[in-house]
Amino acid sequence: MQDIKKVSVKVPQAYLDFINQIFEIEKKANNLKEENSIQRNINKMKGIMEEEFFKGSSTIGLTYHNPLGEDYTDTRTDCEATISGTGVENLEIVEVIKPIIYYSYQDSDKVMKVIVQPAVVIVQSKNS
Amino acid sequence: MENTINFGIDLGTTNSAIAKFIKGEVIIFSNPQDYGRNTLPSVVSYKKDKIIVGNKAKEFLEKDPKSVVGVFKRKMGTAESFKIKSITESKTPIELSAQVLKELKTFVNTGDTLDAVVVTIPASFDTIQSNATKEAGIQAGFKQVVLLQEPIAASLAYANMKKEREMKDGQWLVYDLGGGTFDVALIQIKDGEMKVLDHEGDNFLGGADFDQMVVEKFVIPKICEEYNFTNLEDEMKSASGKFNAKYYVLLRRAEEAKITLSSKTSAEIVVDGFEDEDGNEVDMEITITRSEFNDLIKSNIDGTIEMIKQILTRNSLKPSDLQFNLMVGGSTYIPYVRSRVEEVLQIPVNCEIDPTTAVAVGAAYYAATKPKELEKSAEKKQTSISIKTSYNKASKEKDELFSARVTGKTDGLSYRITRQDGGFDSGLKKLTERISEDLPLVDGAFNFFSFVVYDSQNNIVETDIEPIGINSGFGISGQPIPEDICLEVDDYDNPGKTRLKPIFFKNSILPLRSQAISFPLNKGLIKGNDDDFIYINVLEGSHLALPEANKGIGFMEIRGTQIKRDIAKGSDIEITISISESRDITISVYLNMADQEFKQTFNPKERHTPVEFLKEQVEELSEKLDLEIEEATEKEDFETASALSKLKKEMESVSDETEGLTSDDVTDKRYQLEDKKRKIAQEIDSATKNKRIQQVKAHYFETKDECEKMLDENGNDHERKTFNDIVAQESAFFATNSPLKIQEKSDELHSIISRIRWRTPDFLVGIFKWCRDNQTRMNDQAQAKSLVDAGAFAIESRNWERLAEINSGLLNLLPRGAEKEATTRIGFGL
Repeated sequence: MQDIKKVSVKVPQAYLDFINQIFEIEKKANNLKEENSIQRNINKMKGIMEEEFFKGSSTIGLTYHNPLGEDYTDTRTDCEATISGTGVENLEIVEVIKPIIYYSYQDSDKVMKVIVQPAVVIVQSKNS
Repeated sequence: MENTINFGIDLGTTNSAIAKFIKGEVIIFSNPQDYGRNTLPSVVSYKKDKIIVGNKAKEFLEKDPKSVVGVFKRKMGTAESFKIKSITESKTPIELSAQVLKELKTFVNTGDTLDAVVVTIPASFDTIQSNATKEAGIQAGFKQVVLLQEPIAASLAYANMKKEREMKDGQWLVYDLGGGTFDVALIQIKDGEMKVLDHEGDNFLGGADFDQMVVEKFVIPKICEEYNFTNLEDEMKSASGKFNAKYYVLLRRAEEAKITLSSKTSAEIVVDGFEDEDGNEVDMEITITRSEFNDLIKSNIDGTIEMIKQILTRNSLKPSDLQFNLMVGGSTYIPYVRSRVEEVLQIPVNCEIDPTTAVAVGAAYYAATKPKELEKSAEKKQTSISIKTSYNKASKEKDELFSARVTGKTDGLSYRITRQDGGFDSGLKKLTERISEDLPLVDGAFNFFSFVVYDSQNNIVETDIEPIGINSGFGISGQPIPEDICLEVDDYDNPGKTRLKPIFFKNSILPLRSQAISFPLNKGLIKGNDDDFIYINVLEGSHLALPEANKGIGFMEIRGTQIKRDIAKGSDIEITISISESRDITISVYLNMADQEFKQTFNPKERHTPVEFLKEQVEELSEKLDLEIEEATEKEDFETASALSKLKKEMESVSDETEGLTSDDVTDKRYQLEDKKRKIAQEIDSATKNKRIQQVKAHYFETKDECEKMLDENGNDHERKTFNDIVAQESAFFATNSPLKIQEKSDELHSIISRIRWRTPDFLVGIFKWCRDNQTRMNDQAQAKSLVDAGAFAIESRNWERLAEINSGLLNLLPRGAEKEATTRIGFGL
């Protein structure tokens, strides 16, 4: 049996805190009813995180994913969930407190990702 | 084989952990399925086809109590068992504990066979409970299980940390306040023997209760003061309540605030995302101070102090008879817990060990002193399991079906599939002849999964399975692009020339969307002026080639007549390029200063080749050809000169034909000419490539020598490593035969040189003197003067770091463009 290379990554907490704030801003911007171009700045910040934070190393950068609305099962170790409501079948992510943060790196010709922060989410049964 | 046990397990009521003593140090294994944590929640979940232990099981504990079991440690040694609905079976606390122990085995990544272990038990465990714990260890596959009381383990962790193996005779307390339980024990050491004299505890007190109090007694009343709710608490706490999801959000935020309050004097709890009964959006930030938090938990902490007082009374002890009170358990991070306990009891608290892992660490230290008592007949079990797998190696789906065929005896075996990034864990499932599983994929990355087979005691069984690798993105349904897609930008290294910035690389899968790429503009645009323009030219072809050798697939120009206000040089332009599956290219350009967006979609079937732009390109190419011929002839490189001269005639005909085009020409002529131009450019490119490669190689070696010299004199380890990394890649980037690639490496060496220079006193002084000589040209004279004065002082006091700062301040005061006039063909560049 071949072993898969396990990569353990320690990203400074300040980076993660910073990304969590960007995520919060994005959530708030999406709730704004008035027309605005805030998303543009957010995308720009995401681009910097992804492309500039680790420039010059084999690392590609940090990206985040908002799993809101996705299905949730107990196999999803990319999220730390709290179940609200009644029922545990057919679960859906209804609130995202922190997003999933990935650290991407180049391993020869492959782009690999490692989770450096699992999402913190609230889930609820679609049946309830 | 090691002769001592070395492994220690803290089998906790709420959380468990495993540690190993290796060469004088204890390491705690981290939970492979729970990023950054060393602990495993002691919770087991049963489903029809699998068993899950730990965090994922804990999530379902409250809402699915018929299939998920926690806090079973309290029932150890009783005849009670837990009915599990999903498998219509009952499980005893021993079986459940065995599952936790088996799961902990999977944390061990040192390749050890775990046959002997020290397991900790509460001070309150009687013989039956202790034997039950031992039995759980045996069921988990350990051949030798040694028990150790938790407060003793914590004390051992402390003693080893202090390197005082022989502790002074005396007594102390171990105060263990965790996430859900509280225990306190009185420990005595006499003639080198450590034992628990007395203990007390509360099985329903811990950090989780504090979070709940913050929400219910502090946050909810504050919300109700500001907004109109009739029965907010019930609506939040009831599972069918309207705001039940919000309640859990607040619990999380309260927990974060609690942690913040351990290091700061106040913390904020944000409450938002729902409406009150009048339709007002709730959006508030509630500040909780440390003293407000302390007031909330005071009665609970005082309750624990009462228990200690009882112990003291029972044992006829005064506080002064005790050496210290050792703090264990995550909740003892709370400063008030420490200060209150110390203040009331007047026994010094001791917070020197990591309270969350102390018990496991102590168990491992103890294990290092216990010899293994195993029969040496432990030959490795030979199993011959062969697994043939079948799955798509590339996929664009969110998940991919994996199936496997297993040959060999599968009885009593189970398997588990986990994703390398830590985002997926199938749980422990029964191994059968045929297996199929949906594997979720992370988008845009290579997904590796490991498939591990375990025996009934969670020992790994060797198989012939290879790692499962699925590339998300390179799907059969997705088409790769045949060439690089690049953006033409001004080349600041070669004034007047342009170069290519790759946006998407060859073989990237459609659809594609770039990040917004931003550049400062190197020229301004005056509103209404038709002569002011910026070009956005998207080309297809190798990004290492010359721009004119590539095929234009999207072209936009932004003129002064299109903008709402004047755009200053230096303001940002943001460009986003996307290509749909049907190859439509959309260029979106955003001018920050005007908050104005321009967007255009190009279909490569209808090429956009403005005649004026084409004419300009042809003219430049023609000039370039002449120059190259001249240069080759001068250098007596007749082979190149003759190859180029052959192109000359063709070039002339293209020039003539282009000149003859009208700007509104509706025929295909412009496209044909563009193709011809491109072919000529490619030929010039290949004829002169050798020359360019030689030039850049020579430049590279010069830079390398200079860099090496500087490193010898003033380089640091990090810079040396960067240098060595570049040099190690030499043969690889020379082999690309790409002048740009080699140039890139020279630039990297250059940046090492300039980093070193900026630390070198002579260089810094030189720059400073130059700036001082140019002081009169600086934008802010007053500031320039004060910086020059500060610089003189920095030189006098030999403060080179400060001088470097002053130099950059002075350089910033120079008028823009004074150093290097940027080229302005495109409008932005690199």
